[in-house]
Amino acid sequence: MSPGSGTADVNQQARPARYTGERIKRLEDPRLLMGRARFIDDLGVPGMVHAAFVRSPHPHARIVSIDNRAALALDGVVAVVTGADLAAETAEMEVGAMLNGVEATSRPAIAISKVRHVGDPVAVVVARSPYLAEDGRDLVRVEWEPLPPVPDVGTALADGAPLIDEALETNHVAHGKIEIGDPDGQFETAAHVCRKTFKVGRSTGAPVETRGLLAECDAGSGAITLWTSTQMPHLTRTLLAPMLRVPENKLSVHSPEVGGGFGLKCHIFPEDVAVPAVARRIGRPVKWIEDRWENLSGGVHSKEMDCEVEVALDADGKMLAIRGAFVTDGGAYSSIPYTPLIDSGCAAGMLPSMYDVGHVAAQFDAAYTNKASVGAIRGVGWASGQLARETLLDDAARQVGIDPVELRLRNMLSSEPQKNIMGLSLDGGSYAESLAMARDAIGYEEFRRRQDELRAGGRYLGIGFSPFIEPTGMATASARAAGFDIAYFDSATVTVDPDGTATVSTGLHSHGQGHETTLAQVAADALGFAIEDIRVVFGSSDSQSYGMGTYASRSAVVGSGTIMAAAAQVRARLLELAATLLEADARDIDLAHGVAHVKGAPARGVTVAELAGFGYFGYDARPDDVQESGLTATAAYDPPETYANGTTAAVVEVDPALGTVDLQRLVAVEDCGRMLNPFIVDGQVAGAVAQGVGIALLEDLAYGEDGEFLAGSLMHYLYPSTTELPRYDLLHIETPSSASTGGVKGVGEAGTIAAPAAVVNAISDAISPFGVSIDRVPVTPVYLRDLLRGAGR
Amino acid sequence: MKPAPFAYYAPETAAEAVSLLQEHAVDGKVIAGGQSLVPMMNMRLARPTALIDVGRVAELAGIAVEGGVAIGAAAKQARVLREDAVAERLPLLVAALRHVGHPANRARGTIGGSIAHADPAAELPAVAIALGAELVAVGPDGTRTIPADEFFLTYYTTALGPDELLVEVRFPDPGGSRAWGFREVARRHGDFAMAGVAVTASCGAGGTVESARVVLFGIADAPQRAAAAEQRMVGASPADPALAAEVAAAATAGVEFASDPYVSAAYREDAVAALVERAVQESAKTMEEA
Repeated sequence: MSPGSGTADVNQQARPARYTGERIKRLEDPRLLMGRARFIDDLGVPGMVHAAFVRSPHPHARIVSIDNRAALALDGVVAVVTGADLAAETAEMEVGAMLNGVEATSRPAIAISKVRHVGDPVAVVVARSPYLAEDGRDLVRVEWEPLPPVPDVGTALADGAPLIDEALETNHVAHGKIEIGDPDGQFETAAHVCRKTFKVGRSTGAPVETRGLLAECDAGSGAITLWTSTQMPHLTRTLLAPMLRVPENKLSVHSPEVGGGFGLKCHIFPEDVAVPAVARRIGRPVKWIEDRWENLSGGVHSKEMDCEVEVALDADGKMLAIRGAFVTDGGAYSSIPYTPLIDSGCAAGMLPSMYDVGHVAAQFDAAYTNKASVGAIRGVGWASGQLARETLLDDAARQVGIDPVELRLRNMLSSEPQKNIMGLSLDGGSYAESLAMARDAIGYEEFRRRQDELRAGGRYLGIGFSPFIEPTGMATASARAAGFDIAYFDSATVTVDPDGTATVSTGLHSHGQGHETTLAQVAADALGFAIEDIRVVFGSSDSQSYGMGTYASRSAVVGSGTIMAAAAQVRARLLELAATLLEADARDIDLAHGVAHVKGAPARGVTVAELAGFGYFGYDARPDDVQESGLTATAAYDPPETYANGTTAAVVEVDPALGTVDLQRLVAVEDCGRMLNPFIVDGQVAGAVAQGVGIALLEDLAYGEDGEFLAGSLMHYLYPSTTELPRYDLLHIETPSSASTGGVKGVGEAGTIAAPAAVVNAISDAISPFGVSIDRVPVTPVYLRDLLRGAGR
Repeated sequence: MKPAPFAYYAPETAAEAVSLLQEHAVDGKVIAGGQSLVPMMNMRLARPTALIDVGRVAELAGIAVEGGVAIGAAAKQARVLREDAVAERLPLLVAALRHVGHPANRARGTIGGSIAHADPAAELPAVAIALGAELVAVGPDGTRTIPADEFFLTYYTTALGPDELLVEVRFPDPGGSRAWGFREVARRHGDFAMAGVAVTASCGAGGTVESARVVLFGIADAPQRAAAAEQRMVGASPADPALAAEVAAAATAGVEFASDPYVSAAYREDAVAALVERAVQESAKTMEEA
């Protein structure tokens, strides 16, 4: 096949002038939809055995002894390995202070002296089959000495509380404060002050594919190969190598196909250390596939936060000052690498969001409790902070007697690039425009008329709005703007192969985002190739294109920047090759859809296959830079701050007698700058909004007062499916970033940040005749009935 | 999420199944659709040492409509939903079945399996009581018939002996002037009910209720009839606009609502009051339509 020479377009569409911005169908879908994708559990290597973890049934307990004799006696059990066994072969898992005021912590991969949450691992049983491994697991006898549980932040921070991490001498693992202007003075003299306490529940990502690992160690070299379901193969290698006590060049991390991540899989977990360490210890490849109970009890949790927020307004509803205090229930360990501050720290940093307010005070804390660790799940603490602020503004609108949309419009920053009060370099957007678009799309005035009519007949409908901005393209600049003292490195390599096809390798990943398509669109345009001649590869730390992986709505921005920079270098060399072959000046060459010709003379063209053949095998006839560097280039890009924005609006009907919420309508307006592929943007927004609906109404990783875990299966951890979601209207505004390469912003988390507050505001609006307002999520029927019963309904 | 070891038997006749059940009476378990048992086994909350799979016993899969409706215990829920003759006679059963899980669950789940499993929040046990069903069991001493009213004892516990097999569910001929209503509240469609109610009533020539059943489920350890509510319905006219609220008020009287970590007794009580009112209104409507 001759590349770029009229092969069928993959989408059977007319070839666009540019691929970016087009609704290109996802190139990865055929293998995914036909069930041909190979996930970790589809992999195997000769001699492989299976691991099962013995885990704590207690929230907090000392390990008195572990008796593995019965397990070892079971036919088929190969080994039982404890934390003490691995202590000499691995280093502690350390996580540093990401901010001043945060405690640096460290832990063994497998608990040695005590367990800190239900699901905390204490031993690994290795056997010939996963069934036998679980049989063996059940035979390991652990003698426990239960300790008083610390089930919540209040208990954790009380004087004399039992210590979760005895090395720290406190459960208060993080504290910070931001104060700008004179908020206290404003609150003293403001015409209106509105306060709210809001409790955000625990939720997580719960991907269809749970975590999984397959590890083998080469006995000769000591090199370890690890297949893992991760969002960040290179960063996993960098973080994991010292824990396994191997140099980075003797650790290969592969994440071939990942069945959903949502942030869950951008952490380093105890199992990530234990499984390869056990494989090395016993000299056999070991596989472990996390089950759903393990995923829910021992993965990372997210968003549980006690929020206290207050706003001071003048007589016209102009925001004068905003204060917020955010306390994360951080769970039992600091997640690696983000720590629990990924929630309360992020909530505090975005407290004023896109509002024009002159005085801000934000305080953030995190405490250890006997629950699973809090990590970076889609929307992180921004979603919790958004809930607190946006529900506060609806309460304030009711209190002051201003329409909630009008109150917001009066207080929004202009959409021009500017620094906001927190020092964030906003790169332009559509703050008021997106709110107005959502208001008009949902038919606000007509809704208010209908709402009044139905209320008279005893039906309670409500409407809620949630405008947001979201830091995207997370890298050094945006992390530092948010107060995190960290740095990033991301690169891509673009190589034109001898036959004129191109391979793009990236340190990003894709686990649902469609990057094989969007990044191919970027590369095709940047090179001037047909999209079917581009292949995007990722998912191995053996790739030379180091990168931090995919999370934090970063890949569209980072991918565009890195790939466009690398492709520009290769394209310049192709133009030199064409200029040589066509006996013209490189500046006069056009290269598009895989064919180069002299401008104005399209009849005399050369294909990229010819150019590549010449580039590889043209010996000393080639231009000098091709002789020196070939047709490959690697480029790094560390993007400036970018902020996507938009508004989600929701309509609900509340059944006061049952406390149920019927979600009837959702409108999501998204402005993620220049869209690479609107089809994929729609998918990202739709999925993120669904996750936000889950946070608002369903998802709850609940613990009992005694620390018992109450959400260990998908019977109790409920997430929305298509039957719980109404029709969506997905609308777009395209304001190119004034800062990023290509004007691109990220889009992955927006819906999850915005949707919960829209849904909750709609519920509070619906029940406003009863004089009560929602102050927690999830809004369960039991909670809503309690609230309404308290109000005499 | 892998079950503990067990032996697996696939008998082809009911007699064979009963004899296997006798042999494994202590820790054997009958499996049909496996929609409840298999997850419990995978989580090792249930550890039967022998599974007796009745899925291949053809005589347990029949549906006979002749006056009443007799449904073999291993008949799939999805198949029952597709039978027009069942829908015609037992609209309540059909309405309730739509709340049992999702199509994938109902494709494997069976009528008898749900009844014998006796989850207190399941729909079919309540419907069996509301329709006055008889449950036919075969054991070593032959066949006996147990009224649904006496079948459900407590959580996951029925009147079946350890060596008895549920073979058939017999719904009596509902007759001509039969009213019904069904309401439940669940977190998501297809989830187990937080509370629910099935109502049936038959009316005499004068248009008043002659007999009624109000069966609550998802409220305590087993489905139960709300006797005071039933009494309130008898003699009343279904068209009486005050009736539904009065029956609802009576339905919660004297009922011990259970609390668990997910649903409070107070919620169940509130929900039952609202659900009974709506189910009674629905039953009045079905009466009008009839």
